Amino acid sequence: MYQVDRAYSYIFYISLVLYLVSIFWGLFVTPEDFVQGNSYRIIYLHVPASFISQSLYIAMAIASAIFLIWKVKLSAYLVRSIAPIGAITTFIALISGSIWGIPTWGTWWVWDARIVSTLILFIMYLGLISLHDSFSNHEKADKFLSILVLVGSVNIPIIKMSVEWWSTLHQPASITISDKPAIDLVMLYPLFGSIVGFAGIVTCLVILSSKLQILRRERNKSWIKNYV
Amino acid sequence: MNIIKFELLKLRNKSRGWLGPILVFILIMVAFPLTVEISNKDLGQSFFVVLWIAILLVMMLATEDIFLEDFNDGSLEQFAISNISFPYIIAVKIFIYWLLIGVPISIIGSLFCLGFTNSGNLAINLFPILLITTYIFINVFSFGNALSLTKGSVLGTLVTLPLLLPLLIVLGKAVISINLNLNYLGFVALLLGVLSIIIFLIPLIISYIIRAHLE
Amino acid sequence: MHPKVKATNLSYKINEKKLFQNISFELMAGKAIHIQGDNGSGKTTLLKIICGLTNQVKGEIEKKLDKQICFLGHKNALKQYLTVEENLSLLNIINHPDLKQHLIEFGLDKSLDINLSSLSFGQQKKIALLRVFLNNSDLILLDEPCVGLDTQSQNYLCSFLNNELKLKKSILFSSHISLGINSEKLNLSDQV
Repeated sequence: MYQVDRAYSYIFYISLVLYLVSIFWGLFVTPEDFVQGNSYRIIYLHVPASFISQSLYIAMAIASAIFLIWKVKLSAYLVRSIAPIGAITTFIALISGSIWGIPTWGTWWVWDARIVSTLILFIMYLGLISLHDSFSNHEKADKFLSILVLVGSVNIPIIKMSVEWWSTLHQPASITISDKPAIDLVMLYPLFGSIVGFAGIVTCLVILSSKLQILRRERNKSWIKNYV
Repeated sequence: MNIIKFELLKLRNKSRGWLGPILVFILIMVAFPLTVEISNKDLGQSFFVVLWIAILLVMMLATEDIFLEDFNDGSLEQFAISNISFPYIIAVKIFIYWLLIGVPISIIGSLFCLGFTNSGNLAINLFPILLITTYIFINVFSFGNALSLTKGSVLGTLVTLPLLLPLLIVLGKAVISINLNLNYLGFVALLLGVLSIIIFLIPLIISYIIRAHLE
Repeated sequence: MHPKVKATNLSYKINEKKLFQNISFELMAGKAIHIQGDNGSGKTTLLKIICGLTNQVKGEIEKKLDKQICFLGHKNALKQYLTVEENLSLLNIINHPDLKQHLIEFGLDKSLDINLSSLSFGQQKKIALLRVFLNNSDLILLDEPCVGLDTQSQNYLCSFLNNELKLKKSILFSSHISLGINSEKLNLSDQV
């Protein structure tokens, strides 16, 4: 616990600075986009948020699998603590996406596959939190939470592939692992910076939330009394 | 076999368990053109909208009782202790519920399709899709039911509802494909693939969940 | 002689609170163990652990059984909306040759067509006990079997269980009253 506390301050301030720098760079230094004008700049909020929300779900799925196979209690705490942060991140992604939609598509909501799948992801996060909190027996609640996370992870490939499988309004990925990026380099650097910065902030929130879970669940143990 | 006889005998006497959902389905399909005044041309279009939603809700209603009663009076406990494989018992339960609720609804749904759209081709092609879809719905809603077995609320079922929304998207496309005579068999194959994975996985998952409840 | 059930150092905790710890016993064929303890000391939980329903227990259990376990818990596993006869056919014992004799002894042989919900609590318990009487297993687990039974039925149950012991079956039961069965005592309240 003590090492985490020390590292925590470093991670938080570094990622906060990184994110603010990327935002500043993205908002004021990069030129206007050819097609969309200045409104594209919300990409620096929308893309990190949606990317992180899907990565958080994958992290939850891996932690659930670890909990079910090796019965590590810490994994279950981690799953429960990521859930609300994942919900908030998905909500930011949905809202920023809607705001971006107004100047670009003329509408703030459209029922295409990727948007609906992200909405499903948001509802799943909320469902996970409510299911876990409705059980008073913690061991049972952890087991059911892990199972639901794993069953719901079928949604992630659907989100990622939905842009390819169905012709939709949402633009396909501009950054892939193998091909040359379709987006100009000047805008790419702040985008990467903002993704990393956002990830750093989210990691700090996850660490905070996990500490809270551990303190709440283990409050009867003796080492907690020494720590607090 | 013991479990099949058990389930059939139980449901024969508890006719509200399976007759109820079928009657609710008929009621919804009959009531919708009465409440929404649409001309005959648009009836075909809006029929499918109501069909999928009606099947979704009726399946949710139908599976409410699939494990609850047996859990409360101790029969599930006895099954868990016996030598018969527990996932097998759950798979048989789900299969019998599908036989008594899913198959009649598929037949009735296809007949309504014939009545509303006047297209025999559409109705016949819809029937296998309905059979597979009702089976998938029953499986997923039973999973949701098993999650909140002791809480008695519909929380578990509601939480698993979002998982079925991508399936609804696929079903919408399948219906369009029947109309245009494109890739129909492809959609049936896709649904069969999803069903075959679900048939094996869901009983295993549900048996794990119910054993956790029985502890 | 191998024990049918051997338990070593069982401890169980729920929601971070210990229920019982360091319970050990050996159950041989043809012997019975009477689990005693105060309310809430974990008698039902121990029976469930031996059934295999609960896995979250520290310690070891070894079972060497040839047939399945016969368990009668607090719940009867009977359907209230079916008649007695239909319930018995659900339990798959309707065609057993000894059924008639037990029904006559319990006074229920004329009640086959009656709906189960019309019977009293004790009568429903007797129907549930028929599962034990016509069992086909070598380990019988009973959780408070005499609740609701009149004295005559209790004596009938005891003589039946003594008979089962002679047939080399093993019995594990929890009860607040002492039944007339030759059994070892296992007190859960002593071991907290």
